[in-house]
Amino acid sequence: MSSAPQIEARRPIGVNAKHLRWLLVVPLTIFFVVFFVVPVGLIFATSFNPQTIGQVSVTWDLTLENYVRFFSRSNYLMAAGRSVLLATLVSLITLVIAYPMAFVIAKTENAARNTVLLILVLAAMQLDMVIRIYGMMVILGDNGLINQMLAALGITDPDQPVQFMYNFLGVILGLVQFSLPFMILTLVGVIRGINPSLEEAARSLGATPRRTFLRVTLPASLPGILSGSLLVFALSISSYIVPALMGGFRVGVLPIHIFQQVAEGARFQFGATIAVILFLISAGAVTVYLRVGARHSGGLA
Amino acid sequence: MSSVEFKGVSKAFGRTVAVEQTDLVVQQGEFFSMLGPSGCGKSTTLRMLAGFLTPTTGRILVNGRDITDLPPEARGIGIVFQNYAIFPHMNVYDNIAFGLVERRQDKATIRRKVEAALEQVGLTGYGERFERELSGGQKQRVALARVLVIEPEILLLDEPLSALDKKMREEMKFWIKDIQKSIGITTVYVTHDQSEALTMSDRIAVMNEGRMLQVGTPVDIYEKPASRFIAEFIGDSNLLDVTVVKSNGTRCDVDLGDGLIVPAHVSDTVRLTPGSSAGLLIRPEMLRLAPALKGEGPRLTGKVVDRVYQGALRRYHVAAGRHELVVEVPNRPELSPLSPGAEVQLFWSEESGVAVP
Repeated sequence: MSSAPQIEARRPIGVNAKHLRWLLVVPLTIFFVVFFVVPVGLIFATSFNPQTIGQVSVTWDLTLENYVRFFSRSNYLMAAGRSVLLATLVSLITLVIAYPMAFVIAKTENAARNTVLLILVLAAMQLDMVIRIYGMMVILGDNGLINQMLAALGITDPDQPVQFMYNFLGVILGLVQFSLPFMILTLVGVIRGINPSLEEAARSLGATPRRTFLRVTLPASLPGILSGSLLVFALSISSYIVPALMGGFRVGVLPIHIFQQVAEGARFQFGATIAVILFLISAGAVTVYLRVGARHSGGLA
Repeated sequence: MSSVEFKGVSKAFGRTVAVEQTDLVVQQGEFFSMLGPSGCGKSTTLRMLAGFLTPTTGRILVNGRDITDLPPEARGIGIVFQNYAIFPHMNVYDNIAFGLVERRQDKATIRRKVEAALEQVGLTGYGERFERELSGGQKQRVALARVLVIEPEILLLDEPLSALDKKMREEMKFWIKDIQKSIGITTVYVTHDQSEALTMSDRIAVMNEGRMLQVGTPVDIYEKPASRFIAEFIGDSNLLDVTVVKSNGTRCDVDLGDGLIVPAHVSDTVRLTPGSSAGLLIRPEMLRLAPALKGEGPRLTGKVVDRVYQGALRRYHVAAGRHELVVEVPNRPELSPLSPGAEVQLFWSEESGVAVP
């Protein structure tokens, strides 16, 4: 028959395509190795070198003294706790604010309206974080819009403005603002992927819209809730610029300590140690999340 | 006793009419199918009955109670979806218990009913499994058990077999019909597959472009179709262009051309006017082939154009004047095969010729 030679002729192309597919991942691999694996490896190695002010290069002189120092000083342990608390609170607050919005976007079937809503969400990501933070200062500062309004209404004393910034609250507000688009986009994808007949089945089995949401929609969107809050947790715990500007260096989270060790004290080895501990905390959070996710979604996450 | 009643129900999406004004009665315990190509309005009709869509006009009654304005959860109607819609985050037990939990039944009752439902669908011991651990047929059974356990007044089935492979489909067809018959539950079945509808239904509504073209028993629909569309949609068909000569209720005479006039039957829902053009439906299996003139009844003279061997039968393509017909002949030793080019006579009995508008 005429179809057999055609199959023969196609085979070499198939083999080429297979080789080509491996070639496609080469640029990413090179980039990943040069700009991630090597630097992170060096930071790991540096953290095991003895503390020598001003020294950047890695040596074979290995010690645990930096880690001993970290775990024997309460201010570093408290900074670690503060970082975890901050990232956890930001994840929770962002989730609570983002879910309803994501739900509305995911359930909006009108294409034009859907696009407008997504543009609104993405608009928040169009400006650099520093510019956005300066914008927030105009609103939240001691002489900011909110404090002026509170004073004008006679609710607060103009000489004692409410402290929205340069404290824990300010850092949370800044990070939530920063994280919302990431959370919303993650959730929209997952909620949209929920088979609508699941909700219809629940309704016809006797569940009210509220019960349907609680028993079907919400659990079915759990993978999105987990990955979204994991993303926000990682973004928040590693953020330097927001705690620096919104916290005015007064909120001592781990990235602030790393910056102070490295940029102000030139103590690269101890800075690297804090960075490694920050990395391990993040990795630990990922592990916990994946375990929880596997248990509650029947292994779907 | 009527179980489901549609009174002037229609549905429009914007300017698009999905279902035109429909009046329909489904009897208590009946297996009623809505059959038609995709986009014919059968799913829209089902979704209005389930409460997922609100009719643009008309009322829907279930056991005499107007449910048009009730939300789905207050209707007591169970539905099985094409994709089964098994809750992926719950195991089989919790899936089946879902409706009972919503009805606030106590734990012991729920356990007893779920176990009974699992047994009914032949899945005893599968309670701990999750959706991804089930085959297509098992998902189907879970979906049906989940619905039956709440003892709905009406059972809706939305193309429940289309996601299964052919062998499983054949098996489930009879299984669903058996369960339906043993419970005696009024069932509305939506499908685009005519063989499913013919096998399972007490009555079938053939739908196209938002209208119910004919409602009747499988025999009515297959043997006395009310239009060309139905004749061609259900089964294989020979449709010959004819002119109506004489019409008298369910009987008529039609002109096959060249003055060849034959008697034919007409569905009792159809009126044919003399002089109008119509189609004469003769099913391929209703035709007999013979080399020479013999016997009585309507006939055509033609020539074999092509012969296709299909195992259990042979299909002949026969040209007869301006008509071309397909004839199915059972593969039996006494019916020796005819070669292309052979002159043949085509016979059919008077009852198997049906005139359609």
